[in-house]
This record gives sequence, structure tokens and C-alpha cells, in this order.
Amino acid sequence: MTRAAAPRRGTLRAVFRRILIANRGEIARRIIRACDALGIESVVVHSTADADMPFVREATEAVCIGPARAAESYLDMEAILQAAAQTESQAIHPGYGFLAENALFAQMVLQQRLAWIGPPPRVIRLMGEKSPAKDAMRAAGLPLVPGSGGLLDSLDEALEQADRIGYPVLLKADAGGGGKGMRRADSPDALREAWVSARGEALASFGNDAVYLERYLTSGRHIEFQVLADSWGNAVHLFERECSIQRRHQKLLEEAPSPALSHEQRMAMGKRVADASAAIGYVGAGTVEFLQDPDSGELYFIEMNTRLQVEHPVTEEITGIDLVQAQIRIAAGEKLWFTQDDLSITGHAIELRINAEDPDDGFRPGPGLVSALTPPTGERVRWDAAVEQGTKISPYYDSMVAKLITWGPDRDAAIDRSLAALDSLSVDGVPTTASLHETILGTDAFRAGDLRVGIIPGRPDLSD
Amino acid sequence: MAKILLHPIGHERDAVLDDATWERQLALMQEREAPITEGRAWVADGWGDKGRGRVHRKGKLTVWERFELLRDDGAPVLPVGTFVNYKLEFGDRKQTSPGAGVVTAFTKVHDRWVMVIANDNTVASGSWWPKTPEKIIRAQVMAERLRVPVLYLVDCSGLFLPEQANTFPGGKGAGHIFKRNAVLSAEGVPQIAGVFGDCIAGGGYMPIISDKVYMTEQAYMVIAGAALIKGAKSQSMTSHGIGGADVHVGISGCADFRVPDDEHCIAAMRREVADLPSSAVPYYRYGIDAAPPRFSPDDLTGILPADHRVAYDARELIARLVDASLFQEVLPDHGTEVITGIARISGLYVGILANASGLVDDPNKPGAKRPSGILYKQGIAKLSAFSRACNDDGIPILWLQDISGFDIGPQAERHGLLGYGSSLIYANSTNTVPMATVLLRKASGAGYYAMSGLPYDPVIQLSTPVTRLAVMEGRTLSIGAFNTKLDDEFEIVAESEEERAKIAAGMKAVEARIEADMNPINAARQMDTDEIVLVSELRERLVAWAEMAYQTYGHRRIKNPRIWSMHDLAVLTEPR
Repeated sequence: MTRAAAPRRGTLRAVFRRILIANRGEIARRIIRACDALGIESVVVHSTADADMPFVREATEAVCIGPARAAESYLDMEAILQAAAQTESQAIHPGYGFLAENALFAQMVLQQRLAWIGPPPRVIRLMGEKSPAKDAMRAAGLPLVPGSGGLLDSLDEALEQADRIGYPVLLKADAGGGGKGMRRADSPDALREAWVSARGEALASFGNDAVYLERYLTSGRHIEFQVLADSWGNAVHLFERECSIQRRHQKLLEEAPSPALSHEQRMAMGKRVADASAAIGYVGAGTVEFLQDPDSGELYFIEMNTRLQVEHPVTEEITGIDLVQAQIRIAAGEKLWFTQDDLSITGHAIELRINAEDPDDGFRPGPGLVSALTPPTGERVRWDAAVEQGTKISPYYDSMVAKLITWGPDRDAAIDRSLAALDSLSVDGVPTTASLHETILGTDAFRAGDLRVGIIPGRPDLSD
Repeated sequence: MAKILLHPIGHERDAVLDDATWERQLALMQEREAPITEGRAWVADGWGDKGRGRVHRKGKLTVWERFELLRDDGAPVLPVGTFVNYKLEFGDRKQTSPGAGVVTAFTKVHDRWVMVIANDNTVASGSWWPKTPEKIIRAQVMAERLRVPVLYLVDCSGLFLPEQANTFPGGKGAGHIFKRNAVLSAEGVPQIAGVFGDCIAGGGYMPIISDKVYMTEQAYMVIAGAALIKGAKSQSMTSHGIGGADVHVGISGCADFRVPDDEHCIAAMRREVADLPSSAVPYYRYGIDAAPPRFSPDDLTGILPADHRVAYDARELIARLVDASLFQEVLPDHGTEVITGIARISGLYVGILANASGLVDDPNKPGAKRPSGILYKQGIAKLSAFSRACNDDGIPILWLQDISGFDIGPQAERHGLLGYGSSLIYANSTNTVPMATVLLRKASGAGYYAMSGLPYDPVIQLSTPVTRLAVMEGRTLSIGAFNTKLDDEFEIVAESEEERAKIAAGMKAVEARIEADMNPINAARQMDTDEIVLVSELRERLVAWAEMAYQTYGHRRIKNPRIWSMHDLAVLTEPR
């Protein structure tokens, strides 16, 4: 377990008297729990649709800031800041989603002399755009997917670069998104063709036909590193998580650590991640995402999320560090109270996202009344729930019921405990993804740790 | 002479003094140093272990512990006003206020000199005594003159109320501190405040005008404490509750940042200083590095005789204060009772004006000698011309005093020394270049004034353990007082042995009183001098002063040396 210090004695409180949580559901309850542990009052803002949700009851104070539509409530920056002023809050925690990665909101919070529990607006902006983020991380020493490193001036240059990078390659529009202006090429001839078609589509869709090359990764593993940095230039990594099991870029199941990394690989890349975070002036909790080439084992930087992740509990379970409390203490100006050497991995943790969706019906959300809910039981089983029995899940927001997290002394034990926990869980009134997880955890592939983005073990029908 | 040619001066110690004289003078000076070092220790101890214990129990650091974290590694802490209120007792309980309960000291943060004004929280929780405001104001004025940043480490429970009549109302009372805050800000001098604990009433206002205010979780700032608020008891109101970081950082905006504790606060203040412009000192060294004197400043302890009647070679002193012991004497053949010249200290040009010691040639009577340590017409004129030239050229001025006074008598009056002296005073009074004054030994009467003593607002005045600051020597005063009983040669004229003895005793009493008055601690106690330093510490103090004089640019003239008006003096006095 990690050897880390408790909040410093001799101070009246380590942190703020009152924090406003600009979020809802499971993460709001999570942040309230951390506030309670630190002796901090919590204020939540909520929409009319959420008036009866557990997170509203559990906070010290609740302010209704608008109707159900997120744009008129959870995304209404002025309303949130007004609530903060009215309730005399000293800090704002944005959770994840909503305004968590909105640099403008962060700027407005700071301008109001409130503490922002997250990185500075400059860093949010920097990591918020693909190209600047990649440039910054490349300069800070992280490996990127091999590519042309810049825009291509001519077909000849493209062919030259493709030779260097190695086929198959992906020709991508710089102004592109959503898959447009992108062409895969497995050979020089294919590249010649792609040069014309990709640029044509880009010009038509975005008015800009500038293109660059990247190696095409046929498949890979999604591996992300957790970072904590203080405002004094100190940064550490809290190892990695694997989140390869996804459906249309939505994560379903996460675990820590990744079965695909050796200790050396983990510590080497972790150090580069921590150093890079310090170099860009990161403050708070952040996650650096990589795609691992399954053949070579190489990790390539994809993007950085400048916020807490949904799957943060698995990191907490294996390190013993409460990440939300850490976010709050860092925002209060504390220097990191532990070093990299103080951190270590104990055991293995798995998180299952139990959503109110029907995996057999295209993951169609099934909002409604949770008529019965028996939480899972078992040793080292953690249930971070958005709802309780009797909660009405509305159709306006995400469909999360809860996160089911288990820890075991090793990966096999964690899998066994997850299965046992799922067995003890029962939810009535809404469909859930519990059965899907049961299937996944029961496969040999999962047990072997043989994972790829796009493949859901045991459900070829749901895989790409 | 657009070149500045500095020449080596000084000799090895054993060429200056034989061993026996050296040992004897060393011992005498060390005897005189003892009360100073003991006094410093007494002041640094504050209210002792009890005071320190109280601070630690609250999870706070003492003022000296804060200095340790604040200063750069290896940087000196150079206080002023250490002996203010020395061993004075106040109130019914006869309490002392070591250092007037506040530490005001120069130190370096990220290679920049700063003035730190820090309440001594081991002394009555940092409250303000008589002279505390004056001491703080003096520090603020020094910082203003030198344009160095001011760091306030606030931990102050307000006025020491039994003495409020002596601290609250006056023109130099506590209120004037806030005026100085405002003036510093108006002149663009950075002020950074860290609030570590109580900050009540007057203390409450001190940080607010500062550019940045940091509050620890323990800190609070209030116009009045909860004790004075009606209903506070029944509502369980505390001063911290109404004026802590929650209120002032979050809601009122009276403070800027909150930090968990003392250590974080100091680290944050250091970080602020790192954002300020770096020192211009390297720029103004004109390509020559700083260099220590060739002879050790420690030698000064034995070379400057503690006995004020014993002469010495002033150039041997200067040799131990300036870089590489190089000095360019200006107008060496005129007014030989004073020495003026240019040197470098920490690689930076300074102008030095010093009294010679011992006998010098009398220009009015070839072959005859007259005492130096007295100002005659040519010496006064030389001082004036040199002072004006330095001011014109932006060369900081260092006065080294060991002066009995002006020449007196019929010739002195006919020469118009009153006028020449006034011309010198006018120049010094209207100089804008930073000046520092060191009272090496004698600092008497009009001489003390003429050579820019404290009334003439040098940026800093330093005394030594052997400084003799008085309107005149005791013997002179007793001669004046008993003049009717003395003859031409100042011998007693008495009717009887009894009467002679009585007069002699009376004269001795007068001398003794003046002698006691001249104890440098007396002057320091009432802020008639800024600090008492050991002569071996002078070099370090002058390095600090010189660097501070050049640290910030844009606020004063600094002429490049090739066009100094100083050179005109040399040209005009060259043999034709």
C-alpha cells in the first residue's frame, strides 16, 4: 500500500469551508463523500428534473438552477456562479463531463476569486485541441503515433513519409473530425488514390484540404495513466488503467493495473507522463491516454483529459490514494504530500459500469423508476451509485445506475469477486448492463487479459 | 581622464601594526563588542521559550524560523533597529519589548534584495509597542529610497493597549504606516503580505494595500475582534469566523490567496518575488566581477582602535572595505583632513568620503601639522564638491565618520566655515543619490551633521560598538560648563584644594554623563542610529547597500562612468 501522509496537523482545516459541485448523479455523491471526509460543506446545483435525486439530499445545501435541459441548468455558467456567490462557496468542483473541460468556465470561476478544482484554463485549452496537445506532449517527451509530424506539401512528400512511417498509413485532414477527410492506404498506389480523395472530401467538408500522415493502427489497447500534480511544479503518476472494453468510444469496463504492461514499461512511461505533466504546468488530477500497438507493445499518446475520470476508483483501490480528496487539497494550495517512491500497486481492481441500458437492444437507454435495488455485497466490493431504490432515472442525462468496483489480491481474484458481486446485485424497473459484464468476465479471453479496443469478449455481435 | 584608474591601497596587517599593538587593540575592541553581541542574543530570544512554545503549539513558526525558510540559501539576514526599546520596561507588569516586537531586516530572495517587516510573534503575540510604528516606518522608508520590494510577515494582535497614547495618535504613529504603504505603492515598489495569524485593527490594514495578500488557514484580518462585537458571545462568533480566509479570499476579496500553513505561505511569497524583475546589479558592474578586499575585513577589529584618542591610517580601513582594495583618490592634495575617492563594492561604483586620522600638513603654515578628524576650509570644500559630483553622476555615497567637529577660533570664523559648512549641508540635503553613513568612532557636533548624519536622511546609518555620538566630547562640554573656573589653558583656578577637588569632580561628572550618553546602545534604543554593527561586519553591510542601490533601474540617475562630472574635478586640479 502507499505510504502517504494524512492532512497536516496544526491547521484548523486543510482546505475550504464550502465547495460547490457543478455536476450531478454519481460524481456529485462521490465529491460530497470526499468533502464530508475533509470536514467541508458541500453545495450542489441541480435541475428541476433532479430535485429528488440522492445527491441533492446528501449535500449540505442545494440550489435549483434551471429546467431539465442541460444547456439551461448544468451548462449554465452564470447560474452556477450566481449559486456559488449566494451560498458563499469558496471553490467549484466540476466533476467530469458538463463544464469540467470548459476553459472559459474555468476562467470565469477564477475571475470570481473562487478556487477552480482543476488545471489552469491555459492547460485546459492546450490539451483541448488535438494538434496543440500533441505538439506540447511531443515537446515534453511523450511518444506519438509515428507520422509526418506536420502538414504535407506534395504527394511526393507523402510517399516519402509513408515509406519512413511504414504501411498501412492513415491520411488525415488537419481540419477534420468525425471520420471525414480520412483515408487508409496500404500501399503507395493506394496512397496516390487517397491523396486525391481525402483532400477533395476535406475541401468540400471543411474548406481546407491540408493533410498529414499517421501510421494506421489496426487495433490496439487503450491504456491511460493517472497523474496528480500540485501547483508547486511537483507531479507523480499513479500507474495506469486499461479501458479497452468499449462500445462506440464509450467505456464499459476498466481495470487497474493493465495486464499488458510490465513493471519496467509502466514505471518508465509513468515517469515520462509525470514529467510531461509538470512541463506543461498541469495542476490537479489528469489522465494521459495512450493507444498500445499490440504487435510492438509501443505506447502512443492520444490525448490528455484535464479532469477526473469516471473510472478513477480502480486507481484508488490499488494505491490507497483518495483522488477527489487529493484534488481538493491540491486546489487549496498544498504541496504534494507524497513522492513517486511512496506510491505502489497492491492487488488488482476492476470497475463495471452498470448503466440503465439494454445491451441486447443496441444499448438503448431505459429510463424509469428503479423499483427495487439490492446493492452488491462481498469483500472489497465498492458501489458508487447514482441512484437508490425508488429513484426515478430521467431521460435527460446519462443512464448510469452505478459503478461496481471490486478489488482482489490479484487479477483472478478480482474477476472472481466481480462475478460474485454481480450475482449478489439485483436491479428492477430498468434494464441494466449487468448481464453483459457477467458474460465478459466469464470469457477465457478476458481471464487471459487478451483485450483489444473494438472487441467485447463473449459478444462478437457487439464487437467492431 | 575618461578612464577610471583605481589604485591598490593598504598593506598586510603585520605591516600596519606590530603584534603587541594588534593583540592589545583587538582585545579592547572585543571587550566593546561583547555588550553588542549579548544584546543581539537577548533581542533574538524574544520572550523566550514560553513565547516560542505558544507559537509552536498553534502550529505556527516563530519569526526567525520564517526568516530561515524565506531567505535564499546562504543569504545574510541584515536587521535594522535591533536595539530599539532595548531593555525598556512598559506597563504595570514591567514588560520588555525586544526589538520593539518586530524584525525589520534585509535579506535575499531569489537573488533579489528585499526588506522584510515581520512581527515577532514570540513577543506578546506580535503586538505594537511605543516605537514599533517608527521602526516599521523606517524600514518602509529605506525600501522606498532603494526601491526594493517589501515583504510583510504579519502576525500581530494590535496595539499594546496600556501604551496606546504613545503609539496611536502621532505623526509617526501607527497610522503613518498605512500612508507609507500607499506611497510605496504609488511609487511602484512591490509589496507582498503574508498573514500568518492575528491581524487586528491596525494590523488588519497593513496588508491590504499590498499588491498580493496571502492568508494561511489560521489567519484572520478584522477591523475589530469578536470581543468588541455585540452579540458575538451568544452567536458563538469568533474573529477567525468573521475574518478568516473563507471570508477575505472568497467573499470580500480583501486577500488574494489562501494557503494551508506558514511553510506554504512563505513558499508562495518566494514565488511572487521570483516573478519580479531580476537584479540590475550585473548590468551596472560594467564588466568587472565583484571581488573581496585583498585584506580581510576581520582585520578591522584590531586596526580601528577602540580608544578614540589613538590615531590610525584611514586608508587601511578603506582598503578592507572595497573590492580588491582598489581606490581612486580624488583631490588627494587638497583638504587632506578628509579622504575622498571612488571604489567598487561588489563590482559597483561608490563614492567614499572619510575623515583622516592623526596629524596632517597645515597648508597655512608650511612644515607644521594639524589634527585631522576636524574640518577645515579646504576639506569642507572638497567634501561638498565630491558630494555634488557623486550626486550628479548617480554614484552612491558612503560617509565614513570619525570626526570631532569643525575648526574653531578666529581664523575659522574669518574663513567663513559657517558658510562652507552650510554649503555642504545644502548639497547633502538635496542629494537624491542613495547615501549611507557609518559612524566609525567619533560623530561629534556639526561634524556629524556635515558628514550626513541621520538628520540628513541617509538611506541607512550604521554605528559601531565604539561610536561616540554626541554634540561634543565630554571633556569639551565640561570645559564649556565650568569655563568661569578655568584659565587660558583650561586648567582649574581655585581658591582651595577643596574647591579644586569639587570643580574637578563636577567636571568629571559631566564627562561621565556624556560618556554614558554616547553608549551606542542609547542611540540605537531611540532610533537615533539604524543599527550597531561590528567593524568586521561592515564590509557585508556595504555590499548589501551597494547592491540594493543598483538593483532596481529606472528610478534614479546612473551615469555611465566615462562622462562623470567627477572627471572635471581632476582636470581642473591637474598641474598646468
